[in-house]
Amino acid sequence: MFANLVQFLSNGTNVAFFVFALFAIGGAIFMISFTKVVHMVTAMAFTFLSLAGLYVLLQAEFVAFVQVLIYAGAVSILMIFGIMLTRHDKEESQPNRPLHNILLGIGTVGLFGILFYAIQNANFAPGEFHPGEDNTMEIGKLIFNQYVIPFELMSVLLTVAFIGAIIIAKREED
Amino acid sequence: MVSAYSQYAWLIPLFPLLAFLILIAIGKQLKAFGVYVSVVCTLVSFVLSVLVFIERLGGNMEGYTWNQFKWLQLGDVNLYMGFEINNLNALMLIIVTLVSLLVNIYSKGYMDGDDRISVFFAYVSLFTFSMLGLVISENLLMLYIFWELVGVCSFLLIGFWFRKPEAKAAAKKAFIVTRIGDVGLFIAMLLLFWYIPGHALDFASIHNAVADQQIPGHIVTWIAILIFVGAVGKSGQFPLHTWLPDAMEGPTPISALIHAATMVAAGVYLVARMYDIFLASPEALAVVAAIGGFTAIFAATIGIVQNDIKRILAYSTVSQLGYMMMALGIGAYAAGIFHLFTHAFFKALLFLGAGSVIHAVNTQDIREMGGLGGKMKVTAWTFAIGALALSGIVPFSGFWSKDAILTEAFHHNQLLFWVGLIAAFFTAFYMSRLFFLVFSGKQRSEYEAHESPVSMTFPLIVLAVLAAVSGFLFTPFNGWFGSWLTGRTVTEEASAIVMILSTLAGLAGIGLGWLMYGKRSVSAEAVSGRFPQLHTLLYRKYYIDELYDFVFVKPLKKIGRVCHAVDVYLIDGIVRLLTGAGLSLGKFAIRIQNGQVQSYGLIMLLGLLILAVALAGRRFI
Amino acid sequence: MTDAIVTPYLTLGAILFCIGLYGALSKKNAIIVLLSIELMLNASNLNLVAFAKMGVNPSLTGQIFSLFTISIAAAEVAVGIAILIMLFRNKGTADVDEMDSMKR
Repeated sequence: MFANLVQFLSNGTNVAFFVFALFAIGGAIFMISFTKVVHMVTAMAFTFLSLAGLYVLLQAEFVAFVQVLIYAGAVSILMIFGIMLTRHDKEESQPNRPLHNILLGIGTVGLFGILFYAIQNANFAPGEFHPGEDNTMEIGKLIFNQYVIPFELMSVLLTVAFIGAIIIAKREED
Repeated sequence: MVSAYSQYAWLIPLFPLLAFLILIAIGKQLKAFGVYVSVVCTLVSFVLSVLVFIERLGGNMEGYTWNQFKWLQLGDVNLYMGFEINNLNALMLIIVTLVSLLVNIYSKGYMDGDDRISVFFAYVSLFTFSMLGLVISENLLMLYIFWELVGVCSFLLIGFWFRKPEAKAAAKKAFIVTRIGDVGLFIAMLLLFWYIPGHALDFASIHNAVADQQIPGHIVTWIAILIFVGAVGKSGQFPLHTWLPDAMEGPTPISALIHAATMVAAGVYLVARMYDIFLASPEALAVVAAIGGFTAIFAATIGIVQNDIKRILAYSTVSQLGYMMMALGIGAYAAGIFHLFTHAFFKALLFLGAGSVIHAVNTQDIREMGGLGGKMKVTAWTFAIGALALSGIVPFSGFWSKDAILTEAFHHNQLLFWVGLIAAFFTAFYMSRLFFLVFSGKQRSEYEAHESPVSMTFPLIVLAVLAAVSGFLFTPFNGWFGSWLTGRTVTEEASAIVMILSTLAGLAGIGLGWLMYGKRSVSAEAVSGRFPQLHTLLYRKYYIDELYDFVFVKPLKKIGRVCHAVDVYLIDGIVRLLTGAGLSLGKFAIRIQNGQVQSYGLIMLLGLLILAVALAGRRFI
Repeated sequence: MTDAIVTPYLTLGAILFCIGLYGALSKKNAIIVLLSIELMLNASNLNLVAFAKMGVNPSLTGQIFSLFTISIAAAEVAVGIAILIMLFRNKGTADVDEMDSMKR
């Protein structure tokens, strides 16, 4: 087994993958285990960034860029805004629900076990991947030729979402 | 001509049944009119029985049988229901319907004013129906069904005044003790069913099977003894006699109808009906005779010291039934049935007379009565006739029937003859004691006595006439009854010794009773004062009730308590456990329903896992 | 690129998803719940992009798909935060435990 691991790590790509994966998982675990809410958001941002790096490894540069922009940027800031507008104390006090947490732990581990088992036993014969010269241009070509309808729908959805958010969070005129 | 009326004999039990149904349905609204419903229906049955009887007098020995109603089919065994009329049946029909009719008329006067009177008449009609059905049954299974039904009616009627705890206890005792006998009859029935080829239970098949000797000898003895056990229960022979005296808690007309004339005669009737089986087994006959003879003298000795007027008569009934069984046991079939016939009349007369006395003075203790002869002339005269008949004084019916039995005993079994003679002496003694204490002498307590109404005295007079003259049907000079009943010419051997001895015994008993209680020249304490323990032993009925209580009743009650404890703690405990489990499961599950999304999400996750494992996990099993 | 297999990426996605699930179902603050949901969405995005390169039928469709997913997730976060602010105004707290109107 260790021979496999060493051989795996001899490839540079794999080392990069390993590092990014470690950061991502680390960020997620820290998010779970920090007590202060702001720390949690920070750790989450760290995870987002690591994922962006993984996307670059997967030759999806545009997606990586968008990930950084939207997630590590907008979503994290939105979360912090939410914390700012709703918080009464700084701490995330632990709820005392031992049974719930134990069952949840078992469930999660079980789910992971099932997924892991499925992944290991599945046989994905990879095909040939032609990424093209410029990822952004390729993606642009695809969006505006083949997937233009979903694109338009997406714009409608975003409009509705932001109008809805404003209406929901509007302060009532007293 | 043979079957002109016999084929309608199935109607005879149906009229009282109709009366029962009517009275149960609308008795409350009818109130006193319900009496007439019952009387009319019984009258119709009586008329039909007379017609059937007259037809049977024709002398044709062939019975009429109809058994076409297929009641039950078990595989290849068919059970039929039907009815049968032969000479014995026809005689029993007369006895039952006549006594029932007279008791119905009598009860109109006796139970007048009781607020449950229509229920009473309903039960009496039901009893009449059951007894008639029993008598004309064509097969043993049907007889058993009516046998049980008669027991139920007896239970209902003994416990008629159910607010009295003694009545309730007596009713239970009667039913349970007779039930013990019924088990014997049932086992006999099972044995017969097993051994008779074709699994038929009708009396003709039984007769054929025994005649052809298709049942092994020892089995026949067992069957006969078990049938006799059933008769012992129903007819109150030793050792199952304890219920009959206690049954006197019921109204007096009931004691007359059921416990003197008819139901207790059912045991004798059963033995007579199955006589073929008994004849095939001399051991069984010996058992029957022995128990009958023992019971006769045993009950008579208890009767001489009792103070309750009805109890004396009850023990007298037990004793006379012992005579009948003894007669059947020694082979005197005609004599036994004849005694049944005469006994029905004079015992019913005596009970109804006692009821008349009780109705007048409101007490049943003869020590508190006295001097009623002057004020209740009809009752006194009819009672005297009945007492003389019972004591076996010529020319009343009891003399002829008892004499027939004693003559047969004299020729076949000397021991039983002397037993019967001594019992006759005691019988005469306690009857005269009873008569003199109640009707003669001075009034011993405060009461205003007057004669009973016509509805009560009319049956007394009819029965008195019958008690006087019915004896002439079967005398040593006229063997008609015996020939008619058995189909063989039966000449009763006239034995002068027996006649003289029995008359002497009767007169001695009456004389002693008169001396002690009528003229008071011999002290009543002469014997009892010198042997007080003997007196107590007899008064307490040989402590048999106490013995039964100690041996059977108390252990059974203990077992009952144990079972009750098991029921309460074990069975109920299991039930409570289950309900508790259900409840706690519910209480536990309530905690899941707390309205929080995260709990629901958790449950969804767990459900998803279970589903995934269930669907895809088969490959690992 | 020969020798590139998809399994490590899928495993990583699974790990991130499970961690996000744990967080979503056990944290008390509603903001953190939303954050964990975002983590789960990211994990699925990773799956999509990995299959885009190394799946059975590799093409850029997977990346397009993941772009759409990202934008929908962003919209959902916006609306979610708005709802959360509204809830905070009404109930005075952002605890998930207090939101139990579904009890009856």
